[in-house]
Amino acid sequence: MADRVRTYPGTRKPTPHQGHRKRNCVKVLERLSAYLDDELSGEICQEIRAHLGDCPNCEIFLDSLRQTVRLCQHRPSPSLSEKDRAALRREILKAAATV
Amino acid sequence: MASRKKSPPALPDGPGSSPATSPPFDQLYRDHVDVMYRFAYRLCGEAEAAKDLVQETFLNAYRAYDRFRGDARVSTWLYAIASHACQRMRRKRKGEPERELSLTEFVPTSEGEFALQIPMEGLSPQQALENKELREILDRAIAKLPRKYRMVLVLRDMEGLSAKEVGNILGLSERAIKSRLHRARLFVRKELSGKGLAEEFHRDVATVDR
Repeated sequence: MADRVRTYPGTRKPTPHQGHRKRNCVKVLERLSAYLDDELSGEICQEIRAHLGDCPNCEIFLDSLRQTVRLCQHRPSPSLSEKDRAALRREILKAAATV
Repeated sequence: MASRKKSPPALPDGPGSSPATSPPFDQLYRDHVDVMYRFAYRLCGEAEAAKDLVQETFLNAYRAYDRFRGDARVSTWLYAIASHACQRMRRKRKGEPERELSLTEFVPTSEGEFALQIPMEGLSPQQALENKELREILDRAIAKLPRKYRMVLVLRDMEGLSAKEVGNILGLSERAIKSRLHRARLFVRKELSGKGLAEEFHRDVATVDR
């Protein structure tokens, strides 16, 4: 498979989106979350790294996916106020007692 | 009945004991209400719906408490109850169509769509998220996700649970969780790389600055 990684014969500079229509790019795209989550075997990681080194668009795409995941991971969420926490507790116990 | 093995403890509708006879409830509530509210807020995207979901979750947990066997962590059990309650509540409110996401729709078709169209250069995610516009854009993207994908993204990437744990909560295989997670991430990524986003972002920032 390694010899099929080069998808741009004749030029090192790919036309931006055409590359992604190629089979290798789509194959890499399918595995990017697993790659980011470190779930792939060393051999597959190596194949992906080789492709990324050769395909700037996939590299940019991976970066953008990594940033997206980090934003989700760090998105703070509001917390409940003391007052709401107590009010909710009362509501729950009231509902539990009436059923 | 066949689903009983995989599902979280059944929630009895029958006569429950009175709250006064159930001292563990307060401890359960105290220990987990903040986590459950955070989870509910992330799923619902707003405070009132999140409070309804928390109420439903603890009410169901209270009723099913005797049946909790302790073979899962309490938090996993509560996440499962909350996830089921969320699905039921949403179904009641509106028949939200469950769209399937296919990988092919996430393949960029033009040059501008490979990178994110939001300003993050040199910033940590925490710093970037101090920006209100960015938070709103991210929230909007997550809210647009079909529910079953949002559920997995929230549990995995926001609540930080393992794929195995999320599988137990939702009654799905790890493989299915990973597949949904990937599609969910690609969906959010695509939203954040939308062509009009940069203009929208800068326009909003300019408005705020003025």
